[in-house]
Parts: sequence; structure tokens; C-alpha cells
Amino acid sequence: MSSGKGPESRKRKEPPAAAANTKKSGQNFKRPKRVDARTIRAQPADAALEDGKLDLQKFLNAREFEIKAIEDSMRKCKAANSTRTFQQVPRAMRRRTASHNVKRIPKRLRERAKREQVADNTPTVDAKKRRPRTTRARIRAENAKRLHVLANKKRKRQKEKELASGATEGSNSALEMKIQTRQPRPKILRNSLNAPPQRKSKFRKRQINKTWLPTHLWHAKRARLTEPAKPLWSFAIPLTSTEKCYRPTHRASGQKGVVAWDMSYMSTMGLYGTAVGVERVLRALGLTQEGLWGNRGQKWRSGSRTWTGILSKQRKGSVQDIGPATIIWNPEPPKEDVDMEGSDSPRQPRRELLIRTHPSCFLELFNELVKLVKMQSPQLQVEDLRYEIGSVELTGPGSTETLLGILEPFYDKADTKECHARVFKSLVGVINPSSLPKNSLLAFSVRDPRLAYPPRRLNTSTASRGIPLIETLTKWPIEEGLKPFGLFNRDSRFKASQLPTQKMINKRKGTALPGQPVRITDADPPIPVMLFSSRPTADGHAQGTWTLLAPWNCILPIWYSLMHYPLSTGGNPRIGGLDEVRQVAFEQGVAWFPGDFPGTEAGLNWEVEERKKRKREWDKRPKSKKVDWKSLDLGAGRKGELGDGLACDFEFLFGLPKTAPAVDPSQHPTSSASQDPEQGNASPMPVFRQISKSLFNSLLTSPSLEKPAAQSVITVQLSLVTRGVANTCARIYRLPSRPPTSSQTEVPSTVPPLPDDSSLPADLRDQWLRQLPLKSSASRKNKLPAAGGQDKGAPSQKPPRIPADASMETRKALVAKSLLSTKLEYPPPPANQFNVGGYPLCPNEEDLIGFVTTGSFCLSEGKGMAVGSISAAKAIDTLKSVDAKEGRLCIVRNAGESVGWLARWEAI
Amino acid sequence: MVRLKDRYLLVNIVYSDTPGAATKKQTGKVGQQQQQQQEPVSDLLLFNQPTIGDLTSQMLLKAIRSQVNSLFGDCGSGAVDRRLQVKYLSPATSTFILLVSRAYYRLVWAALSFMDSVPTRNGRRCIYRVVRVSGTIRKVEEDAIRRARLLILAAKREMAGEQAGTALDALFGGSGGKDVARSLTNVVDQDVNDDDDDNGSTAEDAEMSDG
Repeated sequence: MSSGKGPESRKRKEPPAAAANTKKSGQNFKRPKRVDARTIRAQPADAALEDGKLDLQKFLNAREFEIKAIEDSMRKCKAANSTRTFQQVPRAMRRRTASHNVKRIPKRLRERAKREQVADNTPTVDAKKRRPRTTRARIRAENAKRLHVLANKKRKRQKEKELASGATEGSNSALEMKIQTRQPRPKILRNSLNAPPQRKSKFRKRQINKTWLPTHLWHAKRARLTEPAKPLWSFAIPLTSTEKCYRPTHRASGQKGVVAWDMSYMSTMGLYGTAVGVERVLRALGLTQEGLWGNRGQKWRSGSRTWTGILSKQRKGSVQDIGPATIIWNPEPPKEDVDMEGSDSPRQPRRELLIRTHPSCFLELFNELVKLVKMQSPQLQVEDLRYEIGSVELTGPGSTETLLGILEPFYDKADTKECHARVFKSLVGVINPSSLPKNSLLAFSVRDPRLAYPPRRLNTSTASRGIPLIETLTKWPIEEGLKPFGLFNRDSRFKASQLPTQKMINKRKGTALPGQPVRITDADPPIPVMLFSSRPTADGHAQGTWTLLAPWNCILPIWYSLMHYPLSTGGNPRIGGLDEVRQVAFEQGVAWFPGDFPGTEAGLNWEVEERKKRKREWDKRPKSKKVDWKSLDLGAGRKGELGDGLACDFEFLFGLPKTAPAVDPSQHPTSSASQDPEQGNASPMPVFRQISKSLFNSLLTSPSLEKPAAQSVITVQLSLVTRGVANTCARIYRLPSRPPTSSQTEVPSTVPPLPDDSSLPADLRDQWLRQLPLKSSASRKNKLPAAGGQDKGAPSQKPPRIPADASMETRKALVAKSLLSTKLEYPPPPANQFNVGGYPLCPNEEDLIGFVTTGSFCLSEGKGMAVGSISAAKAIDTLKSVDAKEGRLCIVRNAGESVGWLARWEAI
Repeated sequence: MVRLKDRYLLVNIVYSDTPGAATKKQTGKVGQQQQQQQEPVSDLLLFNQPTIGDLTSQMLLKAIRSQVNSLFGDCGSGAVDRRLQVKYLSPATSTFILLVSRAYYRLVWAALSFMDSVPTRNGRRCIYRVVRVSGTIRKVEEDAIRRARLLILAAKREMAGEQAGTALDALFGGSGGKDVARSLTNVVDQDVNDDDDDNGSTAEDAEMSDG
């Protein structure tokens, strides 16, 4: 330890001299205040006496005074005892980090906090006076200083130059000023990837291997983003809010409020060409349902609905899923008026489509599209519109209200008003986007939201709203006069990007009369937007999601307005990041792409990345604090975790060589999207494939169809039946089958040939079934005790309970009897031989069917839930061998733990 | 974290030298006057008299300390001295609140039980009645308020013309047997509760509260 100097120097210094002089600081000031608050006033005895005599009235007064004095003191004490400012910051704010920094607390508390800090002599850091500690910081500081000097010099030189030129040729420069140049329209290449838009030079260096979202600067102050060197899918994506937000997000997404995401990282592509060609391409991408191309898909093809589903590609005879995508058709121009059946006519109608997909599978899909497009005889075109169209997603009961509050249709006169805008405006009162017609789509033009900034609360209380809303929702009159959407038009997108500057808008606001809205001028371009709602599940009870597509440059002004919209239920919309996307999906019981789709390429890449992350975390821990996978005791003499404990080890499940990590470096998601499309082909093909719920169900019901490929997985939702929480990487087992002995064969010598080391109890399945909570079913009740009787292995045969009213003698006798009668085996059986701490053993490796990809305690269900993937072949085998109810039972065991939990799975 | 564990005692001073019971020489000023005037004074007022004379908290503390010393010797007084404080002393209502360290509050209580006069010069005969023991001053204050309220109610009834029932009612400040019982049980209950976290001797304590 250091000598006397060390502790001395670490002590707080005396408060500043000035403060000490006034005697109003620190303990000196606080102590009398506290003493004052704590003393209770009391009256002298005379107050209770009337001229020295006892008197009832005086007696009363004295008591009343006492009550008042004590109550007063209690109140004062509470106030004086009051918490420090930092204990009063809003609940959602994080506490620990820099909680002594007054700049981090709300403004209303700041002054008080400053005063408190001076009074308490809290050591604070002044950023300006801090001297750089590290070498790097010193170099930076020196550099900054030098740059400052340089900039000053340059500014000075420029000024001189201007002065000189202004003196000589003033008229000429004035002429020059008048010439205006047109902003170049961004180039969009056909059938190849586009470069991201030109960045501001100040931020260019920071975006070398990634792209910022339009709201990056806003998010950087309020959310945790991906690490600078490790962008996600070549974007800097907000991961989660810096505030504590798990429970608030749950509430805002389901009960009260809105969660909003800047989803501009979602990739959009344009597909242009003849209707026939487009259909052929889409069919090749897996849109083979006849409903889409027949009458039922008419609305979708006319552009008034969206389609969302999983796209896939053909590879050597097998179908490989790519990922989910939303496909939107552009309505045909009305003058041509060609119906879909006449698409074979000589004048081939040109159609335009927008495909919106996840950035993790964008490259794969784009390459596939380019390949398909080039195969068509009248060639189609694909455009990469990633940086052209941005998007915002909202979910929660207030999402419709928020959108109505910030999006003002551009054309508000009755004759020019777009019909979609009219429908949109009539949606006042919708509290769940999924109550709209399925996959509904609205496309119209809106004004610059900055003109009406700050947004005002929507007037929802207007009477006689109910009936028109219901009419709108049932009729959904958006087909009349369907025109091509503005967002498909490159020119209108470009024009919308040329919004007037904030300075101009401020000036106009200044000149406008108070209380009057700012009028639209020619300088304000209409912003083409597209709004579509989506439902998380088929049943439509859960909150739906609004997706707002707008030109990339218009996202930021929309976002500002969005974040400041005052909700009618109080508060503002909450921001969400990637973690919140996953949380909301998990709570709604939906699989999240790519994490819950290990059968796709993107999902596999995600899994590989996660594995590496987990490995890093695991490596960091000291040996005593990490799970030793090899020595994990699974009971019945089984040692070691199945497969890799840090992975959803599907390779182990399917007996594949562990290739994924090896090929991984070439397929780093950061580099994948930025370079040429050809490089993406080197990525590892997932050798197992994902099959959809509908395919799974048809495989299950129809006996004619052949079994699914052995290496195919299906995504399931698991709900834990009794207790327990499943985490990522948890192992999913099916219930072990009963050994085919005893009753049928009746030959005792043919004991099931179990391996020597793993002698699982014969009634393991019954043990597991007994874990099910007993309902009113009498049959099971009758059956179970019988099953329990066979349970010889369990040594826990409890002695009879001692009755409560037994005398001491009886108690002694009973205890003695129980002690004598309980037979303990000698030598005692090894631990975990028949059960694990009283819980049934986990089944063997051959009953492993899958892994949990997402799992935790679910706030919406109030119990442990999980999303995982299980082997489709094994699932179908199980379902066909036993009844459907028992077949859907499974056992979930967290990686590194030996106790499993009973769960029920449901394909999603 | 080190934490000082305390007990707060709410104590009433009850005057035992009521005119009927006391002799003339022992009575103080009030008693004499009443004797002179021969006015009928209700029991309620008689038992809940104010404490006349300049009783200060220092005097009270001194008296308690000396009593503890005489009962429990140096060891006892040393143990009690550490944290004995008067938090509130109201002569007008003859109520005070003591702060004692939790381990030794029974010593103080015992000393209070053995004290029989107001610690002023020529102090009147009185009884110190501990009516509430609590770990927080807030609860004690709440109880003081409750008691004052009960007394006010009783006094109002008195003013309305009803006679209070018995002398005992007046003493306990209650309007009926129920309240008396409640206030008694309160003390006992509280005491037992204390023992839970004390891990101390239950039997001993119960005795004290009885006595």
C-alpha cells in the first residue's frame, strides 16, 4: 500500500474557499437545516392551564397543538431528508455511468444538482480543463490544436482575398452568384449494385466500410449503435436505446404508446419488365401459390395490397430459402387500361415492382434476381434502390395516431386529393394496424413535416367518427382511380429529396402570422410515401406494424416530427433498435429473420457470428466461472454437452462436418454487401434447409407425400409447460420412447439393449409425462399413480406424514418407525443416476431434435417462451407415432445445465 | 454497512397524586388550587395533567441516567448513555419521546418504571407510562397523534355533558374498554415484535410490559 500520502491525496479536498466563507455550504449549511426539521415544537405547561387551573378547552387546545406539531415535523422531516437530485432522475435513465455529470440529467433538475454538488464538494471533471492522459489522446489534442490554427489562417487568407476581389470586380461576382446549378440526379445502375450516396466530407471517413442511416446523428446520441469497426450488414444500426427500455418497450408495443424504428437499412429493389416476365421471375423465386396469380391475387397485382413471404431459390433440384420479402406492384397507368388477362396481347404492358427485403439476404436475393432477369427473353431490369428509399416502422396502439399526426397529405383540395390520402385521413381511431384489411397498402404524397413542426396532438374526440371508420375498414375504397405510385418514380423521389433548407422554413415560419400554418409554396416538393400495415400472426390479435416507405432523404425530417409527436395517451413515441425488433417479435411469437432462420444462408451467417461472439465472451471468463462442457453431468453416467455448448449446433444434429466457422472469414457480413455481387457466391451453402409451416402441415397430413429431407428444419415456438426459462442454444429433445419390452414380448431375458454407460430408467417417458400439470382429466389421474408404483429407482419413498394433532409420544414413535423402516442403499447409488436433483433425466442423444435460437422469459405470456428450430423429419416421425398432443411435447435443456424442462412446440 | 439500531419510546407522565388520592402537603400548586376552589374536575383532566415546573429534557435525561445507574450499576448506565436522547418533550401534554439503543431499551424502560416523581425540585409524584415502543420515530409520532385524537374525542364528549365512565378510562385516555384494551395490546404486541429481531428473551420482556 502507499504511504501516508496516498490516502491523503485521494480524500476530497475542502470545499472552495468562497463557498466556505459564506458558511452556506456543505455540512455547515445542511446540519442546522436538518436539526430544525427534526425538532418537534412543544408548548410549555401553561398552555394547558387556564390561570393555573385545569381547563377542558385549554386541554383540547394543547392536544390539537401537539397533533399539529407532530404532523408538521413529520412532513418537514420527510422534505429535509429528501433525496439528492440524482435519485430523482426519471426511471428510464441509466444511473451508474457518469451519474455525477449534471449535463446528463433533465434540465429541471440541473440547477439543483449543481448546487448540491458544490455543497457536497463532489469531485467533477471539467472536460475543457482535463489534460489528455493517453498518448493517443495527447496526439489528438495536439492535432486539433494545429488544425485550429490552420483553419484560422485559411479563414483569414480567404477574407483577405475576398476583400481584394470585391474591391476590383464587384459587379462580376454579383453576376456569378445568380447562376444556379442543378443538383445532379443520382445515377441508378441497372442490374448491378449502386454505390451509396455521396457523403458529407466531414463524415466520409467514418463511413468507409458502412453506411449511416439517415437518422444516424440523432441515434448516435440516444442509442447504442454497432461498433464502428464491426457494422452489421454494412450499416451502422442502432442496437438498443441507451435508456432502460425492456419493459417500456413491452408496454409501448402492446398496451400504450408507440415504438418506432428507423428501418432504412432494409433493402429495396426495383424489378421492371413485362407482366409475363415478372411473373416468371417471381415464380422462380418461390411465389408459386396459384392464389397469387389467379383472381385472388388480383388486388395484389393491381397494387392495392402487398405480399409478404419467404423467397427461395432453386439449387440443383432443391429449393433453398433466401429470406422474407415484401413485394409491391406499381399500379398500371389508367390510360392504358389493360387488364391482367390481356397480358398476352402484343403490346406487352410494362410492370414495376418493389421488393423490400432484409439486408442480410439482400445480396443473395439480388444476385439471384439478376441471374433470373438475364434469363428472360425480353429482358427485365433490376435496380438496387437501397439508398433511394428509406423506411420507418411503427408498432403499438398509438402508431396510427402518430402517423396521422405527422403526415399531412400534400394535396388537400377536394378535387386534387388523392383517394389514398382520403382513406388515410379517415383512419382516426384505429388502435391496431392489424385491424385494417390484410396487407393493405396506401400510397400518397405528403407535405414536408417540418412545416407543421412541432406536431400537435391529433383531435381524436370528434363525434360521429365511428361509423365512417367502420365503413372505411370494411369497404377499403382504395381501388378507384389507382394511379402509379410516386415512390416508383425516380424523378418524384429525386424532387422530394430537394427539400428546402431548415433556414428557409424558419424564415417562412417567422413571417407567417402567429397561429397560422405555413402555406405550401412551389419550393415544397410533394414527398411520395407508401404506407403498409402488416400483421404478426394470422389470428390478428397482436399489434400490427405500420411500415412507412419514403425517399431516403425525407426520412430525417419525418423522424424528427415522429419523435416529438405528443401521444394522446401521454408521452412520445419510443425509439427501438435491433434488440427491440427481436423483443417485439419474440413477444408476438414470430420468428425473427435472420436469427431464427438457421436454414437460410443469412441465418447461418448470423449464427456463425453469434457463435464467435459467445466464444469470445466465454474465453474472457476465468476458468472457475465458465461452464466446462466436457464435464457436464447429464445423469445416468453421461458426461459432456451434446455438440458445441456455445452454438445451436445443427451440424451436430445432422451429423455434418463442422464447416461453417472455417468458411466464415470469407463471408464476413461487413464486406459482403459492399463489393461486387460475384463475391457473394463464395458463401457457405447451408446444407440443411428450412421448410415452411404450410409445407410441414401438408407433409404431416398427407401420407402420399414422401418424407422431408433428413436435413431440414422447421421453426417452432416453444412454451414451457411447468416452469423454467430456455435460453439461446438450449437443446430440444423429444420425449424418449418407451422401450419395446415387457408387455408385448413377455420375455424377461430380452432386456432392451441399452448401452452400458447410459442406463436410463425404463419409464423415463412416464416420468416426463408426470411433469405435466394435472388438469381435471380423471383418466390421467388414475393412470399416473400406477406409473408411479413402478418407479423403484427413485429412492425418495417418503414416510407417512405425522398428523398435526399427534402427541409427543406418538410423534417419537412415528419418527423412530420411519427411521427404522427407511431402507437406505449401501453403498449409496451414485448421484444423478436416476434423476437430477429430483427432476427426470434428459433423454439420450438420439432424441435430440433441435435447438432454441431465441428464448427468455416472455412478458406477454408471463412464462418462459422460446423460438427454436427442430428437425422436420424427426418431428414428423414423432407426431405420426403418437397422438398430436403428446407428440408436441418436448424437453428443453439449457446448454451447460443438466435439468430439462417440459415444453410444448408449435410450428410457426 | 454499520447501522445504528434504535428504539423510540413514547412515554406519558401520569400523575398519581390526584386530589382524591393525594394528601394536601404532597400536592403541587394545581392540587392546592383545586382543593381551595372545590371545583369538580373530571378524571380525564386530572390524569392527563400538564407537567408544571420547568422540566427540561436535560433534567429528564439526568434522572433516567441516575435511575439506571442505581438499578443496573455502572455497566447499565454506560450501556444506556451511549445513545439516550429526548427527541420530544411536551410539558403541556406530559408526553415525551425517548431514543434508546435497541439493545438496552429495556433498561431504560425499567428505570422509567421505578421513577416516581417529576425530576424537578419538589417534583410531583407521577408514573412514567411507556405507551409505545417502535423502531422508527414515525410510528411513534403516529401513535402520539392517535392518542391525542382519542383524548380530544373524549374531551369533546365531556364538553357535551356526558361523564366519562371510570377513572381508568380517563387514565388510558380511552372512551371505553375497547380502546383501553387496544392500547394495551398495542404495547404488548409491539414489544413482542421487537423480540423477533432482537432474538432476545421473550419472557422477560412480557413481564416488563405487564408491570
